[in-house]
Amino acid sequence: MRIFCKNLSFSYSPKAKNPVYAVENLSLTVEEGEFFGIIGHTGSGKSTFIQHLNALIPLQEGQLFIGDFDLNPSKDNKEYKKRLKELRSKVGMVFQYPEYQLFAESVFEDVAFGLRNFFPTLSAEEVSKRVQYAIELVGLNYFEVKDKSPFDLSGGQKRRVAIAGVLVTEPEVLVLDEPVAGLDPQGKKELMDLLHSLMTGKRTIIIVSHDMDEVCENCSRIAVMQRGKIIKTGTPEEVFNGEQIENLSSPLIANLKKSLEANGVDLNCKLTADDFINAVSEEYLKRTNK
Amino acid sequence: MLKNNLSFGQYYQTKSFIHSMDARIKILLLIAYFITIFLVKNFWGFLACGAFLVLSVAFSKVPPLSVLKSLKGIIFLILFTVLLNVFFYGGEYEVVYFKLGNFLLVSDASLKFAGFMALRLSMLIAGSSVLTLTTTPVELTDGIESLLYPLKLIKFPVHELALIMSIALRFIPTLAEEADRIMCAQKARGGDFESGSFISRVKAMIPILIPLLVSSFRRAEELGDAMDARCYSGSKGRTRYKKMKLSYRDLVGALVYGALLTAVILLNATFINVI
Repeated sequence: MRIFCKNLSFSYSPKAKNPVYAVENLSLTVEEGEFFGIIGHTGSGKSTFIQHLNALIPLQEGQLFIGDFDLNPSKDNKEYKKRLKELRSKVGMVFQYPEYQLFAESVFEDVAFGLRNFFPTLSAEEVSKRVQYAIELVGLNYFEVKDKSPFDLSGGQKRRVAIAGVLVTEPEVLVLDEPVAGLDPQGKKELMDLLHSLMTGKRTIIIVSHDMDEVCENCSRIAVMQRGKIIKTGTPEEVFNGEQIENLSSPLIANLKKSLEANGVDLNCKLTADDFINAVSEEYLKRTNK
Repeated sequence: MLKNNLSFGQYYQTKSFIHSMDARIKILLLIAYFITIFLVKNFWGFLACGAFLVLSVAFSKVPPLSVLKSLKGIIFLILFTVLLNVFFYGGEYEVVYFKLGNFLLVSDASLKFAGFMALRLSMLIAGSSVLTLTTTPVELTDGIESLLYPLKLIKFPVHELALIMSIALRFIPTLAEEADRIMCAQKARGGDFESGSFISRVKAMIPILIPLLVSSFRRAEELGDAMDARCYSGSKGRTRYKKMKLSYRDLVGALVYGALLTAVILLNATFINVI
């Protein structure tokens, strides 16, 4: 589903005389099938913004469309209340440290929670089929974990179970807030690989992060947020190859590339580790062969 | 949102005579004021207590409206008490305004008594809100710890009790924030906390309460470790960063209260008593 957002503003104290806006005049379009990254420091409004995407925070000012769903909660929009559940089943939201939201007595029950809420009419067989699918999708062994208590799992496994609990409704848009926070490097890589493997069909993934390297490495397009506003959007190359953005450190690869350029080595590559290494070794071979 | 609805302590930050009084004295004076209110036997006595209350609000620089706001919470309690007393007052009376059966009876005495109870309740609450508005939770627990000190003689863990109280106060906002976050996460998974019958709504709270419980245990463990790491070993040999000291203000407060007590006793003796 396409996400279209225009002039969105949000304040936690809208009735104050001079409201402070957590998100101000934000316009953004995310196309179907994009792996989109939103970066910004703590307090830049990124978490507030993404909570709009499945109406956890009701729209105050501006326009927001997810697919053909209008998120304007005013009374004129008669579809809003009726379709809210449908929207939430299609826009999956994985919060920061999602493992802290586990509650059920077994992994199976926890993953099935969302499914049963959104589709109360599903048969028991259908539920277990879908739960199995979701648990296997996140790379866990269904028969091994389904009857375990979620509190007996390791940290990384808990996070996978929590993500499975969101994926079980097969959302078309998946929004993740700092998905790799607190994981070790191996866990980070595995989780990112998992997210890439979910990019099938028309699914859109939006991740929120303050780690430039991570976003640069994985996203097809990114938006930089500062003080509630989007100050730059584009591919990682468009955002980081130009001038340094104020108050924002560049990703490692972009820095390397710039210092090579300053020494007369112009590389034409994407800002991902693999691409950069290839470009460097090609350049090296070219020069040594001369 | 949950966190906006919860007000944590109503401390009103400013510098004033009452703010700088010793928390222990304030607590003692409040208790004394409570007792005085129960000593009062006629409306003139309440006038004296009212003057004491107005004086303390004036010297605390707290907007009078926020003291009145504290009454909002008990307005139903007051109404309930008033209604019960108006209709079911069992004492002697002179004039009957309304009678229904053997029990329902509105008389001059019952009206007076009901008004009396309403005044008494609202002055109790207004008085205690002056304390909470002018004293930080930390000062309050420190004050209580110091006042309970004699209990140490019978090996009562006073310091630990005060610590538990201040930790509990400290973690209310943290837990409220956490509850908010978990609620959002379960809502995103289709959890519904607003509709349905009472029982189904209570059941819907389980996905919030369990993670909250788990995380409070986790936090408690982390806090315990952190305290251990900084060699916390209870009250033994522990010195204070902020020492509580009595000042002239506390003496003034006590003298003003003494005046109130004398006034109330004299007024009780001079005028006709309602009760």
